[in-house]
Amino acid sequence: MQSHKKSAGSVVVIVLFLAYLLLPLLLTFLYSAFTQWTELLPQGFTLRYYAEVFADTAFLISVLRTVAISILPLLISILAMLLVMYVVVVYHPGWEGVVQVLCTIPYALQGIILAISVLSLYSGLPLPFSNRILMLTGTYCVLVLPYVYRGIRNSLNTIRADRLIEAAELLGAGKLQAYLRVIVPNLRSGITVSALLGMAVLFGDFVVVNIIGGSYYETAQMHLYKILFRSGQLSSAVIVVLFAVTLLISGTVFYQTGKGNRS
Amino acid sequence: MQSKLQRHRYLLALVPFALIVLVFELVPLFTVVLRSFFPEGQFGFTLAHYAAIFSKKLYRDAVFNSVLIALLSSVIGIVLAFFGAGAACRAGAGTRRMFMSVLNMTSNFAGIPLAFAYIILLGGSGVLVLLGKQLGFAPLAEYNVYSFSGLLLIYVYFQVPVATILLIPSFDALHKEWRESVSLLGGGSVVYWLRVGIPVLLPSLLGTLSILFSNAIAAYATAYALLGGNFSLLPIRISEQFAGDVVQHKEFGSALAVMLMLLMVAAAAINAHILKKNTKEGQ
Repeated sequence: MQSHKKSAGSVVVIVLFLAYLLLPLLLTFLYSAFTQWTELLPQGFTLRYYAEVFADTAFLISVLRTVAISILPLLISILAMLLVMYVVVVYHPGWEGVVQVLCTIPYALQGIILAISVLSLYSGLPLPFSNRILMLTGTYCVLVLPYVYRGIRNSLNTIRADRLIEAAELLGAGKLQAYLRVIVPNLRSGITVSALLGMAVLFGDFVVVNIIGGSYYETAQMHLYKILFRSGQLSSAVIVVLFAVTLLISGTVFYQTGKGNRS
Repeated sequence: MQSKLQRHRYLLALVPFALIVLVFELVPLFTVVLRSFFPEGQFGFTLAHYAAIFSKKLYRDAVFNSVLIALLSSVIGIVLAFFGAGAACRAGAGTRRMFMSVLNMTSNFAGIPLAFAYIILLGGSGVLVLLGKQLGFAPLAEYNVYSFSGLLLIYVYFQVPVATILLIPSFDALHKEWRESVSLLGGGSVVYWLRVGIPVLLPSLLGTLSILFSNAIAAYATAYALLGGNFSLLPIRISEQFAGDVVQHKEFGSALAVMLMLLMVAAAAINAHILKKNTKEGQ
């Protein structure tokens, strides 16, 4: 009886939470799918704003820009991290502490401080240093380091890297060959998860791109800000589309990690 | 000589990482700290920028508002999350999984989209405002989302899912037997939470609070979208110093940025201190 009452109480709390958390999302969606909302209930269901969003080349190009500026830094960071981990795993396990600290700093400081640090240092210098795209790419590399490090570290924890390399060496492989052919393939799920997490972070970034990219590089978030107060319905449609993409990315992470835990 | 070089050739693998970290993390951060002590536009040493933060009302307000909104949103967020995480741990497996995925989903809803959603909800012709007008309920009908309380409401929204996700694992670690022991000794629910539950959870509560505080005090996009430069917050004032292509106040902006970093470090240090004092008392 007692436990029945308790679980009923927890269901009420969860329902309240769901209502609170989902209301803004639901509202944004409804707003994008109706022509007007001046009474209590919205009127005139339409998908016209979605048609407009997908016909807007400026928006589509901004999405492509976002994808480009997210993928390049992720590839660079993942590659750099795999190379560092080669030295750490094979030669100097003691150096990992330093790598960990360097990869945690961006997480602790967050976008605003990273962005103004990079901008203030390089914006006064001659090209190529003052190239905004270069600055943006570099800052994004640093911004995703915490996620790339976590993903790869978690994967490394699931294997006995030292033993595997010893075994490969016994079979005649060099250290680098052993790392690339035996260890790295085992890190695939960790790399995927960190790439997706990093992608979600960069896809939602506004602070870094607004400060460094400014009007030089209009990503999807910048585009959204530009049109925000022009048309409410159009903005909500853009928000819904961008949020759906983010969900797709983070949903894949959820699925991937869940799969990893089960197996 | 040759062989020694070859033996250390593996160190080349460190180059890309070292380059990224040096060029885009360490050197820029170091420069910001250094520059905050330079007089504007020249080399030298001055504390004038730091003095200006406290002597000019605009920037004193920015520090005060940022600390206040970060503190309030973190505390409200963690209190709500406390009940949410507790409920998640008592719920059935299916409900819990569904709850977790909604938390995960909504933790992605932040920045400009979130600000916009709250404008639809509580702005001039927002849905709840319309409802308030229809019901003749003045506090809702005349609500102004473009204010401190509006911003606070939005900050609380993005704190709640993050805090709940972070707290659920520690609630899982509370053993059922402890509650039973307390009730066998004649203690009720209140006694259990005050004497057992909260003390056990304290490290993760404080850790979470510290993360929430940093999240809120450095948040930029939400406030920027809702209020532009009309409300004095530290991240907004910092970015303004670097916004112009022609006129920039790099030195003063750097001092503001160092101020923001110090506030985050202070929050973490206070947490660590309380935690240390508490574990000592416990022994």
